[in-house]
This record gives sequence, structure tokens and C-alpha cells, in this order.
Amino acid sequence: MTRRVLVTIVVIVTALLLQSTLFWQLKLLGVRPELMYLVTIVIAILEGPNEGAVTGFVAGLAQDFLLNQPKGITALTLTLVGYAAGLARQYIVSPSPLMPTILVGVGTAAGIAFYQVVAFLLGQLQETFTFAVRVTLLTALYGAILTPIVYPLLRRVIEGSRPTRVVRF
Amino acid sequence: MVTRQRPRSTRLLVVALVSISLAVITLDYRQGASGPLAGVGNAAKAFMAPMQKVVTSVTDPVGDFFSGLANLPSLADENQRLTEEINALRSQIRSDGYEQEQYQGLLDLMELRGSLDPTSVPALVIANGISNFEYTITIDKGSSHGIEVDQPVATGFAGSPMLVGRVVAVTPASAEVRLIIDRDYAVAATIEGTREAGLLTGQGDQDLRMSFVEPGTVIEGDESVFTQGYEVNGEEGLYPPGMLIGQVARFVPAENVTQEYVEVRPAVDFETLQFVLVLQARTEA
Repeated sequence: MTRRVLVTIVVIVTALLLQSTLFWQLKLLGVRPELMYLVTIVIAILEGPNEGAVTGFVAGLAQDFLLNQPKGITALTLTLVGYAAGLARQYIVSPSPLMPTILVGVGTAAGIAFYQVVAFLLGQLQETFTFAVRVTLLTALYGAILTPIVYPLLRRVIEGSRPTRVVRF
Repeated sequence: MVTRQRPRSTRLLVVALVSISLAVITLDYRQGASGPLAGVGNAAKAFMAPMQKVVTSVTDPVGDFFSGLANLPSLADENQRLTEEINALRSQIRSDGYEQEQYQGLLDLMELRGSLDPTSVPALVIANGISNFEYTITIDKGSSHGIEVDQPVATGFAGSPMLVGRVVAVTPASAEVRLIIDRDYAVAATIEGTREAGLLTGQGDQDLRMSFVEPGTVIEGDESVFTQGYEVNGEEGLYPPGMLIGQVARFVPAENVTQEYVEVRPAVDFETLQFVLVLQARTEA
């Protein structure tokens, strides 16, 4: 369990680091990826709604504390995204390898849209409507593109830290 | 976690987490920059800064050596050491165009620093904002180097400082700078030649927008836009007057919009920004 928590924290911190440094240079049409959404959805797919919600909450809160906007909006969004993605995974029987990619794309789009609506209602978002739509679509696309790279990586890391598995050093 | 594999308790967990999130939003919204949550935020930023610095220095080979510059005793020594380092590194890397560009940028910045008030702190950009909705950078100097919230940040070369943004958060060893292109950013500006003042606001990755320009102002395009000094009730503005912000790109007359405005293209290329100066004393540029 401790190992699992540590692994999740390392994954989140790494993703935050990459997002604030490297991905500034690797923008897709002016938009950077939302790695917290990607990590949350992938962990939800692998581990189910329970872990999805907890990971989403922690990842969201971590990102919130690095932002200057009212903290908690990303945590709220990602809790719901993680729960929904985990739940959706339980009802999808398709063995298609594209499944994670599609779930990340749809989940990110829904999450980013939800985030912007909440931020807008709190009077924190001053973007134009076209920018909001563009960010929603491009982050979803970027997340989907990154999934084939990130998903196998995270699966190895997460499955390696499963508490039920006996790990010998 | 005892709630594993039980749908009802999972739902309960989600409700609990959502409630906590809502409580955090409310708390932070009410307390703003002074509450305990802002303190946790600063701690998180302080925790991330050293790692961001490492990652950036890996992705940017020239990063490290600049950070030592601020500790040098005087400008002359700084320039001398800088030149030496440049020469040494130049011979190492032969004629790599990219690297040379970096050193030219550094030299320019040091010359600018000399032409400004001596109390400006050079800093290295170690990270960029984390979200698509905020335009900020993180620099490797913080309150222990005398940096405070609201200090203006500049780049450029001697005699021509360009406005980058202002400090919005500080930790002991890092500071967060909001860029002028952020949508929450506003700065009083004046158009070269016309002496007309207006309010410049950030528009994200689009050009800046200058509003409240006097109707009937003749704008040809391509004029430079500078910061405007002002004084309200004896309080000076945050920025020294005469810092370059950008060039007029387009004038939008009030035919299609309710209020005419001027689009201003920022002079700083924020995508490639690596070194900045934090101005600690207000000075005539």
C-alpha cells in the first residue's frame, strides 16, 4: 500500500514537472497537454473508479496548488473524471487496444470543458468561447496521442506496485 | 483502503472527495492570497522549483552557468567572467549557432542591467505555467534574493528594456512571474509619437489589446508601445515609464465593436525566454 502511494506520488510529480518545463516547448498548435488528466484516466482504467477518484483528487489538488486560480477546481474535476473513467471501464468489454486512447480523449475533453464551466461560473475564466473550444479539443487530441506512449509505461509501473503481488527485491 | 471493490462505498468516497474539493474552492476563494491554502500553494511551488530547475537545465544546456552570475560581487567582474566563460565555452562548442545566440542574449542582458538601476536581479527561467489558462513563468530567484511580489520583470539589451511581466508569488528560492500576455494582466501604456495613453490587457496567445485610447487618435501601425508612468494619490505605478511592450499590429475601429481598440504585438518572444531581470528599484529607463 505504501509502495503504491509512493509510486502514484512519483508519477504525479513527474507529470507536473514535465508539464511545466518540457511541454512548454512541445505544444500542439499552441496548446500543451493536460498530463494530470491523462494520468488520472489511465490509473482509473487500470485500477477502477475507487483509485481513479482518489488519484484524480490528489493529482488535481497538486496541480491546483501550483496555480494562481482558486484552488480546488482541478481537484473537483479530476475526482469526477477519475470516477467516471473507472466506471466506464467496467462497462466496456471491448478488448480493443484503442480503448485507453478513446477513453483518454473523451475523458480529457469532458474534464477540460467541465473545468472551464466551473471556472467561468466562479468568474475566473476570461477566455473567449473559441479559445475554450480549441483548448478542449486540442488537449483531448494531445492526450489521445500521448496515451499509446504513457499507457504501457504506467501499466508496468502500477502493476509492479500492486499490493496483492509478491515483490521480491 | 477498506473501500475497495464496493460500489456503494466508492460512491461515498466520491461524494466525500467532491465535498472536500468544494470546501477548498470556497475557502481559497474567500481568503485569497493571505489564507493558509495560499501558504500550502507556496510550499508546493518551493518544493517543485529545485526539480524544475534540474529538468530545465537538462533540456537547456546553458541554464546552469547563468545562475551563478548573480552572486558575483560587481558588474565589471560579472562582465569579465561572462566574457571569459563565453570564450571558453565557445571554443568547446566551436561555432554552434544556437549556443552563440544564448551568450549574445546574456551579454545583452548584462549590458541592460548595467544601464538600469544596479538593484536589479538577473534570473533564469526554470519553468513555465502549468495550465493552458495561465501565462506565467517561474524564475530561480526568490525572497532570499530580495524579490518581492509586484516587482516588474524585464528583458532586452542595453538602453532598451522590454517588459516581461510582474512577480505574483515568491518562495525563498523561486518566484512566479505573470506574463503580460496573461488574461488577468493589465498595464498602463502609451503609443510612441501620439503620446496617447491606454490600458493594455493580455489576450493569451493572441496580441495584446489596448483599450481606452482617445477616439480620433491617428495610428499608422508599427508604432512602439511603452509603459506609461503615472501617479495616483501619491502612489507611483508599478512600472518604470518607457519600457518597451510591443508594436502596434492593428487598429480596430469602433465600427464592428462597441469600443475601438489597438492590437499590440508583444516585443518579447515568451516561447524562448530564458533570462530575465527583476527590477527592484523604480528607475527611469
